[in-house]
Amino acid sequence: MTTLDDAPPPVLPAKPGVSTFAVGGALIAAALTIVTARSVGFSLSEIITNFTRKNSPAEGLLHPDWGQIWSRRSRTAFIETLQLAVIGTAIGATSALPLALWSTTFGNPNRWLRMLVRSCNNVIRSIPDLLWALLFVTAVGIGALSGLLALFFFSLAVTTKLTSDTLDGIDMGPIEAANASGASLTQMLRTAVVPQILPSYTSFVLYNFELNLRASAVLGLVGAGGIGQRIEFFRGAGRWEELWGLVFMFFLVVFIVERISVTLRRRLI
Amino acid sequence: MIRFSNASVTYPNGVSAMKDLDLEIADGEFVVIVGLSGAGKSTLIRAVNGLVPLTSGELNVNGHDVHALNRAGLRDLRSDIGMIFQGFNLVDRTTVLKNVLMGRLHEVPTWRTLIGKYPQADIDIAARALARVEIIEKTYTRASDLSGGQRQRVGIARALAQDPSIILADEPVASLDPPTSHVVMRYLQQICRELGITTIVNLHFLDLATTYADRIIGLRDGVLVFDGPGSECDDTVFESIYGRSLTADDTMTKHGAL
Amino acid sequence: MAQSKARSKVRGKLRVGLMPTPPDQPAGVELPSKPVTTFRWVSTALALALVLWSVLKIDAKWSRLIDAPGDMWTLCTVMFSSMEVNKISGLVGKMWESIAIAWLGTVIAALLAVPLSFLAADNLVGRPIAWVTRQVFNVLRAIPEIILALAFIPIFGLKPMAGVLAIGVGSVGTLGKLFYEVIEGINKGPVEAADAVGASRLQRLRWGVLPQVAPEITSFLLYRFEVNIRASAVLGVVGAGGIGSALAQALSFKDFGTAGLGLIIVVLGTIAVDTISGAVRRRIVAGSTPIVKPDLNDPTKFEARMDDFGGN
Repeated sequence: MTTLDDAPPPVLPAKPGVSTFAVGGALIAAALTIVTARSVGFSLSEIITNFTRKNSPAEGLLHPDWGQIWSRRSRTAFIETLQLAVIGTAIGATSALPLALWSTTFGNPNRWLRMLVRSCNNVIRSIPDLLWALLFVTAVGIGALSGLLALFFFSLAVTTKLTSDTLDGIDMGPIEAANASGASLTQMLRTAVVPQILPSYTSFVLYNFELNLRASAVLGLVGAGGIGQRIEFFRGAGRWEELWGLVFMFFLVVFIVERISVTLRRRLI
Repeated sequence: MIRFSNASVTYPNGVSAMKDLDLEIADGEFVVIVGLSGAGKSTLIRAVNGLVPLTSGELNVNGHDVHALNRAGLRDLRSDIGMIFQGFNLVDRTTVLKNVLMGRLHEVPTWRTLIGKYPQADIDIAARALARVEIIEKTYTRASDLSGGQRQRVGIARALAQDPSIILADEPVASLDPPTSHVVMRYLQQICRELGITTIVNLHFLDLATTYADRIIGLRDGVLVFDGPGSECDDTVFESIYGRSLTADDTMTKHGAL
Repeated sequence: MAQSKARSKVRGKLRVGLMPTPPDQPAGVELPSKPVTTFRWVSTALALALVLWSVLKIDAKWSRLIDAPGDMWTLCTVMFSSMEVNKISGLVGKMWESIAIAWLGTVIAALLAVPLSFLAADNLVGRPIAWVTRQVFNVLRAIPEIILALAFIPIFGLKPMAGVLAIGVGSVGTLGKLFYEVIEGINKGPVEAADAVGASRLQRLRWGVLPQVAPEITSFLLYRFEVNIRASAVLGVVGAGGIGSALAQALSFKDFGTAGLGLIIVVLGTIAVDTISGAVRRRIVAGSTPIVKPDLNDPTKFEARMDDFGGN
């Protein structure tokens, strides 16, 4: 058409380039990948040869011993795992609420104390659950108690972080109202803050329980109780079929518990 | 009684929200404060219960020097002063009753608050407060299920439950429609007259101010520029308080008509 | 103290209107009847019963609990008082190895999960295929990396490769789930627009889906990396390389000084990675509008975020 052909094309504004940040980031990521691959000794061919080679774990994987559910010892270990998860969640997740409140500006007017609590939370969060278990087994000895203590700190780590994040987004209005009526700090937190986060918090506790259930399964690997000890036993003896049978049975249960937990959590909101 | 003597408030960012204020409010008065946004209305109201500390000067409330009170003393003072907010400041997830009971927190021991079991006497007081604002049928309703006007009534009930000698209302009707605004203002006026509670209200709708106030205080840039009965206030007076000519936004009826 | 009696003298008795009614007058105001909350009571009772049963029945030596704080304290003092400076470089090297394992594992997981997640989004491939893929993700999510590591070690030996693959395979489940939720959360608009102009499926992906989704995916990846650092630190305990192996070895040889040093390095290293990664993530997300708004009240979206602690 004439109008489009005649006049010289208008000059477009300068094209915005891809942000330097994104380009830089991608380059760093790529470089990091190459460097790490080298230092770890990554080799695709090696992976393929190793996977295709005949090996016991994979064979055991193909014929897992479903009979593990009937084994008495496995069942006892299983129940111990459950109990560890319950108690760990109960004590750990409940302690997380005051700890999280204590790390907020409105819950802890003292700046230094607040920083101290936040730093402690950060340190606790950076130690993985199995390391806690290792430490406690060394200090206190093998057995369920070490597992319990490890789960306590792990639960603190998980739930405090989630609760703190939620507390960052609450409505300050009721807090102002409670303070304006002469309530004490504890009363203000109990009536103006906790009701706002209670559904989320309960949801976190349930989630924490799911995590603890999974965690308590592996704590036994270092001797802290639960089915982890059975798993370690089977591994040492090379009995992969039983090992996989146990693993699958256990995680089937975990899966079911998770589904229940999700429905419960939906009901809360 | 509330007395400001040469009181000033300067915020950390340098803004001077109150300049050498001299003001005396006797017991049982119904006072309305008007002024543009930023004129210092909120600051004045929040200074009375110590939420905003004075930078200089004196403030005496019910015989106590607010500046000299320690934390416990401030809590005692605040328990005697009820406050009503523009945003209602209710806990949305809990019931109306629990919200009103927040007014009794100062009198109820902490352990009872923690488990949520309030003494029957305090529940009775809450019930009376709810009855007074005619919302008792909603006692167990969640606060989030109420309309704006109903929420503000719960706010008033909460303040009443404190059994205060002073009620501070910071723009209590700014979020409400005209008919509801009148309802709320009428409650405040009734409460002041029947219970003898000193009431200080911030308003930005001038027609509401003249309708309900015994005494109007005008603030401009933190300075008191008018102090007199509502009958004396006409548009010229308001224009001098605002320092500009009035617009439709300044009166509720005209604003509502938009 | 005189200061605490700030109330006016009238407060000795309650005011008119709030006064309790004298006994000979009819009852004052009546509250409406209180609603019933059975679900709450039943579930709380059940939960308490569960906790009580666990506490009573668990085979734990509770007597050791009293000594536990003391034992921990002793361990800590021994660990932190006998640290040797010359061990630092070795341990830092091991920490770097853990970081490398975590990074590589995350990258592999991403490379595998991104295409798989498209197969799990029901706005792209339809319900049946999506369902199958999602179940695969669920299985992978359920198994902790360390068990996978246990399986990979006999195959690859006591080398970092085992750890890398354990983390890689383990993370595919979580990443896949996060990705497909992001894909499903996007505005159908651009995808429909691409469709309307007759774009092919692949073009639809490239121009309709990808631009919206890139910042958020990158952010999730980095978050997963942070989680995997903790997992990889731990994998060493069973021998899959990294600082976990150094720690476990030190403790078993009662070389507490090295163990203490290792612990500090783990904490510092993890915090360092968290901080850098967190800052980068914030920068990425700040420059874009979130597709999946962090809605703490929606349990499904919530899971996607919370899974960050999950596959450990």
